[in-house]
Amino acid sequence: MSANAPETSSDGLESLLQHPAIWRGRSAAQVSVVPTGFAALDAALPGGGWPRAGLIEILVSHIGVGELNALLPALASLTHQASARWNAWIAPPFEPFAPALAAHGLILERLFIVRTEQPLWAFEQSLISGACEAVLAWAPRAPSRDIRRLQLAAEKGRALGVLFRPVAVAKESSNAVLRVIVEPTDQGARLTLLKSRGGHRGSVDLCWSHYPTQGRVMPSHPRKRSDSVIGSL
Amino acid sequence: MSSRPIRTGLVRPGETRPRESRETQVSVFPLAPPPSQQALAFEPRELWVGLHLPWLEIEALQQTVREVPRAVVEMQGQTQFIVAACERAQRFGVRRGMGMAAALALAPNLETCARDVTRERQLLERLATRAHRFTPRVSLVPPDGLVLEVKGSLHLFGGAEKLRRAIEVDCFEAGVKPIVSLAPSPLAALAGARAGKSLLITDSARLVGEISALKLVTLRWPAEVLERLQKVGVYNVGQVLRLPRAGFARRFGREQLAELDRLTGRDADLRDQFRLRERFRRKEDLLQELEHHDAILSALTPLLEELGEFLKVRQCGVTQISCLLKHRRVPRTRCVLRFAEPAANPKHFAKLFGEKLSALNLSEAVRGLEVRSGDLVSCTPADASLWQPGEHGGETRGHAPELIEHLRARLGHEAVYGLRVLESHRPETSWATAELAARTGKPAERVVEDHVSWFVQRRPAWLLREPQPLIERNGLPQRYGALRFLEGPDRVEAGMALQGRVARDYYIVRDSHGVRLWIFRDLKSPYAWYLQGIFG
Repeated sequence: MSANAPETSSDGLESLLQHPAIWRGRSAAQVSVVPTGFAALDAALPGGGWPRAGLIEILVSHIGVGELNALLPALASLTHQASARWNAWIAPPFEPFAPALAAHGLILERLFIVRTEQPLWAFEQSLISGACEAVLAWAPRAPSRDIRRLQLAAEKGRALGVLFRPVAVAKESSNAVLRVIVEPTDQGARLTLLKSRGGHRGSVDLCWSHYPTQGRVMPSHPRKRSDSVIGSL
Repeated sequence: MSSRPIRTGLVRPGETRPRESRETQVSVFPLAPPPSQQALAFEPRELWVGLHLPWLEIEALQQTVREVPRAVVEMQGQTQFIVAACERAQRFGVRRGMGMAAALALAPNLETCARDVTRERQLLERLATRAHRFTPRVSLVPPDGLVLEVKGSLHLFGGAEKLRRAIEVDCFEAGVKPIVSLAPSPLAALAGARAGKSLLITDSARLVGEISALKLVTLRWPAEVLERLQKVGVYNVGQVLRLPRAGFARRFGREQLAELDRLTGRDADLRDQFRLRERFRRKEDLLQELEHHDAILSALTPLLEELGEFLKVRQCGVTQISCLLKHRRVPRTRCVLRFAEPAANPKHFAKLFGEKLSALNLSEAVRGLEVRSGDLVSCTPADASLWQPGEHGGETRGHAPELIEHLRARLGHEAVYGLRVLESHRPETSWATAELAARTGKPAERVVEDHVSWFVQRRPAWLLREPQPLIERNGLPQRYGALRFLEGPDRVEAGMALQGRVARDYYIVRDSHGVRLWIFRDLKSPYAWYLQGIFG
């Protein structure tokens, strides 16, 4: 169905597709979701958002290519629910910067950090406990055979589990509901859906920074500046 | 009947009166049972349960059940005498009071162990603690009895017969086989139980008649008094009650007369109430040294279960439990559990101790355990929810502390923490770790400020604990090659001169991998570059 089709025929098609006897592949996965906060990404994901319960694998070449920016709006909306459960971050690679997370809309009272050498154990316990809305884990050396266990734990605890793994494991098979490769672009990131249960594969460009392309910023040496500027501050 | 004043239904405490006949009541609905012989019954002021524990000496030793006859022995003078024998040993003919040699001749494979009076006392106190389920008025009758006043609890437990059954079941669960009697006076109930009879006397008029057949031995009077009574041909309670009071007091002592009055309910029987302890503390010496965590945990589990019973009876929880592991040479290992909310579930305790022990590196085998509770905090057990946790409308708050305690038990208290924002312009000091508190209700909505979107664009999600120095080439910082400057400078000046004033120019740059970084140049000589944070 092309987007520029005449409106009348599109309406006719929509009404035709309402017929109960017609079964469409995409509608097979009736999953509860949480909106990602990006319209383009919502459109590409089955159900229109990140799955509400299940394991997502996010594959990155380096920490900080935009994987957290893509998740933060959804995480923030999860902490705002009336009876929100915890948001757990297991073994994050750096310190989460609390003022920035608060600015992204996360309610910090509903977030806890776990520092551990055994991220997968803590990840599984948090997922299965039913006490967490979302659990994020950074486990560079997660064996693929554990993924199925984690997926089942996430379904049992009705939690959104997000596992960050290196992009090198993209070729391995996985039981995760969703596998996404995140690559940096000039204005944001490109998300490539490697596997999407009940949806399509494909890639989406997300944009979150609007840096001026011309007039490149160059640092000036503080010594060369007039002293009055420094003195006045 | 007509001259009688209007009935208010009030009976003064201490007053006993026969049940009035139902005919005087004018009732629209036939609620009352037809008048029967019950109309003549005298309801006692108090109803006592006497609990006699004939096998306490054996039960206190709590050994694994094995297919050998066992007996408990005690040194009396120069020889060892049997104090208690298990049923298997009794089948061989081993009896209480028998010499050790005679017992071994009857049962050659008899296993004997020394009597442990402190353990017997502990077991008795444990039963008294458990008995608070039935009534708050519990008294110890050392060495092997308990009395409970249960008049007020009869209705709750559905009558005397059902209450007695419930007490028996409760004792079985605690691993003890009791004999339980009910009577209007504590001594009568106890004497009945000691005689091995499960009396059920709920009518004070029937008391004397029911107990008259009991042997005098059950009253545990001094042996010399009993002997003299036997010489005059008095063997049981009925016979002694027929003796003239004055003469009895003169010949056999006032003590005994007073006891008879208490036995028949003529005199009040005042007893010291057993007071529940303010804290739980229990020591256990192990029979063999344990090294494996699983073995230690299984030895610890009964103690934790006892703690759970104790908390259940007191309707309290604890926020801290400590467990001391005793070794042969090295000092004791201390293992402390802390809870976010008052906890009382022994299974939960055992699970957390399991995690704690697996993280523990014991330098020596364990030969003794001790469990101590912290201060008791009153807590009402949470109602079970209809919904599963996480389901729509399901209760989730109660589960959160368990998860955090579980993680902390294994990873340490500091490994799990929350975050909070501090008022500071220096990024390193603008956040801090926060203690995780049980949430109540919805948190206050944060006011959306004007600078939020600016902040989102220009502050990274990741911060390095310490700014990391960047190498410099041609006056420009490097990280995996040259950096591309996207935005800046953004000056931060903060701090008082004494605490180390900082002045920094912040830039957002992109490295060759496409990762956006937050770096700064120190505005003090030597104008070095540092990496401060990484954008998500």
